Amino acid sequence: MRRSIIFVVAAALAFPGCGTGLGGEGIGFGGYSLIRARSVEVGDGSVVVTPTREWNRVSSTWSIDDIRAVEDWTLNGSSLDSLSFVTGLKGGRYIIRQSKRAAQQVPKFRSDMTAPEVTAMLESFYRVKAGTIDFRTIGLSPRQFMGYPGFQFDFDHLDTDEVWRRGRSVGAVIDGRLYLVLLDGTRSHYFNAALPDFEAVANSARLQR
Amino acid sequence: MMLSRRALLAGGGGLAAALSAGVADARILPSAMEPLIGPGYKPTDRDEIGLWQQMGRVEEELSGSNLLIKDPALNSYLQGLIGKVGGPAAKDMRIYLARIPEFNAVMFPTGFTVIFSGLLLRMRNEAQLAGVIAHESGHFLRKHQIRQWRDMRTKTDVFAVLAMGAGVAGGAAGVYTGDLARLAELGTILSLFRYNRTLEAEADAMGVRLLAAAGYAPNAMAETWDQLIRELDTSAKYRRKKRDRGYSLFATHPAPESRMADLRLSARDVTVPGRVYDDGRGRYLQAIAPIRAMLLDDQVKLNDPGASQTIIETLAIDGWNGLLRFHEAEIWRLRNRAGDDTRAASGYAAAVGYGDAPPDAWRWHGVMLQKAGRAAEAKVAYSRYLAMAPNAPDAPYIRQLLQ
Amino acid sequence: MRRKTIVVGAAALALSACVQTKQYADVQFTPPQGNYKLLVMRPDVTVGSVTTGGMVEPRADWTETARANLLAALKAQQAGRGGNVLVLERRDALPGVDAETVAELERLHYAVGSAIALHKYSGAYLPTKRGKGLDWTLGEDAVALGHKSGMDYGLFLHAEDSFASSGRVALQVLGIAGCAVGFCAPTIGGGGQFAYASLVDLRTGEVVWFNVLQTGGQIARIKFGDIRTADGAAVMVERLLGRMKPGKDVARAIKARR
Repeated sequence: MRRSIIFVVAAALAFPGCGTGLGGEGIGFGGYSLIRARSVEVGDGSVVVTPTREWNRVSSTWSIDDIRAVEDWTLNGSSLDSLSFVTGLKGGRYIIRQSKRAAQQVPKFRSDMTAPEVTAMLESFYRVKAGTIDFRTIGLSPRQFMGYPGFQFDFDHLDTDEVWRRGRSVGAVIDGRLYLVLLDGTRSHYFNAALPDFEAVANSARLQR
Repeated sequence: MMLSRRALLAGGGGLAAALSAGVADARILPSAMEPLIGPGYKPTDRDEIGLWQQMGRVEEELSGSNLLIKDPALNSYLQGLIGKVGGPAAKDMRIYLARIPEFNAVMFPTGFTVIFSGLLLRMRNEAQLAGVIAHESGHFLRKHQIRQWRDMRTKTDVFAVLAMGAGVAGGAAGVYTGDLARLAELGTILSLFRYNRTLEAEADAMGVRLLAAAGYAPNAMAETWDQLIRELDTSAKYRRKKRDRGYSLFATHPAPESRMADLRLSARDVTVPGRVYDDGRGRYLQAIAPIRAMLLDDQVKLNDPGASQTIIETLAIDGWNGLLRFHEAEIWRLRNRAGDDTRAASGYAAAVGYGDAPPDAWRWHGVMLQKAGRAAEAKVAYSRYLAMAPNAPDAPYIRQLLQ
Repeated sequence: MRRKTIVVGAAALALSACVQTKQYADVQFTPPQGNYKLLVMRPDVTVGSVTTGGMVEPRADWTETARANLLAALKAQQAGRGGNVLVLERRDALPGVDAETVAELERLHYAVGSAIALHKYSGAYLPTKRGKGLDWTLGEDAVALGHKSGMDYGLFLHAEDSFASSGRVALQVLGIAGCAVGFCAPTIGGGGQFAYASLVDLRTGEVVWFNVLQTGGQIARIKFGDIRTADGAAVMVERLLGRMKPGKDVARAIKARR
C-alpha cells in the first residue's frame, strides 16, 4: 500500500542532451534505496526481516506524509506491487498522515484492537486513501507472527483505475502496539509473483527491542 | 436575493424568509418549460452531429467500465423510472449506475446518464430518485449540453470545430481508462457540463413539471437538496470547518439554498390541491434491497461521521431497522472518539434485537462483549454469527475465538 | 482517487523547448522484422485543455480527432515494415477473445506503463532494475491473449496532449486535481505532449521495448506536431516508433561481429 506523496522536482524528466542533462540511470533524485537479500531492520527499527531477494525501499526523504513506524518497499512500482511494514505503532496513532479537517479519515489504531478491528482499519484506509471502490475480504484466520498470536488477512480490491488488486497482511498486536506486514499487488501477475517473497519476509520477522 | 450561509445559520428566520420569497423575479416557471426535443430525436446541425458521434464513443467506453453496477433488475428498475419522468425522450434515454459513493448524477448530451451509487443511498423514496432523474432529463430535453457547448465554443479554440468535421467518422477507437474516476472528481471530464444558473433553474423547473405529471410528490426535489445540505453542514461541523465550497456536486449545481427555495415555490405551482401524490417508497426499497447493505457499507466505511450520521438518521425517519442500527454502530466504532466504544457496543446490542440484523452485527456484538470481559455472552454472539454465516471469510478466525 | 500523488515541478520544462525521446529495451530485444503478427491495442489517448487553474480538462472532441489520426498514422507506419498488423478498434473485435479479457489487459497495461514511465523516465529509479534494460511484464494474461489470438507482439500506445488556454505561464506545477489524489503517468502541466509506446512480446508476456515521447511548451507547438492534425499525429508516431533500436546484449553482439 502506498501512502506517500513524493515530490519529483525539476530534474525529474531525465533526458540526455536536451539541456536538463541528467542522463541514464545513474543519478535520479534518490526516491528509492536498495534493500539487499539479508537481514535488515524496518520501520522504527524494532523489527528485523530477512528478504530472499532484493527490494526497493521507498525513501522517506522526499515523502511529506510518512510515519516513522511505517515503511514501504516495492519491486516494480507501487501501482503494481508494494510491501509495507507497520512496526510498533502506538495506540492513538494513525498509519498515515492526514488532515484533521478532511471529511473522510482513516481511523486511528487503538491499543486494545482485536484482529477484526485492525483489518477494518485497513479496509477504511483503502477506501478513504487508496481509491478503492469495492473491497472484499477473502479470509481472516489466526496465524502466528513473530512468535505471537496474530492474524492473516486476505482481501481483493477494485480501485478507481479499474484494476483489481489483491492483498495479504500478517500481523499482531503486541503489548498494545501494532506490528504487521502487508503485500499488495495487481491480481493479474504481480501479487502472485511477490507472494513467495512476502511469505519469506513474514516468516523471518523478529521482534527486537 | 441570495442568502449567505451565515444568514441561514443565524436562525430559522433567515431561512423562512428565503423560502417564502425565493428569488422570485428570476424564477423560471414550470409552465414555461416545453421540451425542445421529441421522441427519437436525432441532430441535424453539423456541430451537434459531431458532438453526438463523440458522445457515442464516450458511452461505449463508460458502458465497458468495471466500476458500473450491472445488476439487471436494478438497471431495469432505473430504466423504468426514466420511462415515467423522461417526457418525450422517455424511450430514448439510457441510464448507467456507477459504484461511486457520492451524491451525483450526470446527463450527457446524447441522452445517457450516469448515476452514482451514493445517490441511491441517500434517496428516501422513489419520488426523490425520480426527481433527480427528472432534473437530469430536463437538461437533455432543453438541450442544455449543446447550448452550453456552443456557448463555450465561441469563446475558445475554433480549431476544435474544424477538426471535428474531418475524419471523426472514420470510426476512431481508443481507451478511456479511468474516465469514471474523473467523473467522480467532477468538473474535469467535460467542461460542457458546468451549467450556469439559468440552465440549472430550467432543469429544476422542467424537473418539477415532469415529476408532477408522473404523479409524484412535486416537493421531492427540494427535499433532496435539503437533505444534502444538512449532510454537508453536519459533515463540516464535525470536522470544525465550513462547508466545502469545492464540493464536487456544486461545481455543476451551484447555489443550493436559493434553488431549494425556488423548487418549493415551483412545487407549489404544479401541486393540484386535494390530489394524492405517490412517493413510491415501498417499490423503491424493494428495488434497492439487494444492494442497500452495500451502499451503506460503502458510505460508512469512508469514516465521515457527520455525513454518515445524517444519512442514516434521514433514512430512519421512515423507520429504524436492524440494518440501519448496525450501520449507526459502525459509524461510532470507526469514529472512535472518547466514549464511542461504549456507544458502538450499545449500538450493536440494539441492532441484534431486530429481525433483519445482518450477520456482521452479531460478530461485532461479540467483539464488543469480548472486550468488555463478558466472555460467555461473546461466545454466544460468535456462535450466532457462525450459524448465520458459516462460510464467512473470517469464520476461521472467529471459530478460534470459541475455543 | 488513486494511490499516491506525484507532484512534478515543471521548472525544467520551461527550458525544454525540444523534443525528447528515449527508448528502453529488454537487453535481449531485437526489433521485430519479417513475418511477425502485431496486435495494435486500442490507443489510450487523451487530449485536453489546460485551465488557468492548472487542471487538465479532457476534451472529447480533441481526443477523438487525435485518436483517429494516431490510428491512421500507426497503420501507415507499420505497413511500411512488413509483418501482419491487426489494429484493434473495439474491445470485442479480436476473434477468439472476449471483450472483458481485452479490457483487463488494457487496464493492467495502464498500470504497468505508468510504472515504467515513472521509474525509467522521471528520475524515480528503482535500484533493483539497474542495468537490466527493461524489466517489466504483463504476465500470464498477455501470454494467454497471444495464444488465443495467434499474435506475436502487442503494441500499446498512450498519448496525452494538452493545450493551454490563453494566458498560461510556462512554469507550472502539475495540477493535482487533474489526476485527483492519485497516481497517473506523469504528465506535463500546462501544455505539451506526453506519449509512450510499449511493445509486449506475447509469447513471454514481457514488455520488451518502451519509448517515451515528450515535448514541452506552448511556444513550440507549431514545430512539433499537433496530434489533432493528421500530420502532427504522423510525426508523433514516427518519433515514437520510427527508430526501434535493439537491446543492450543484442547491440553488443552485433558490434562484436563487426
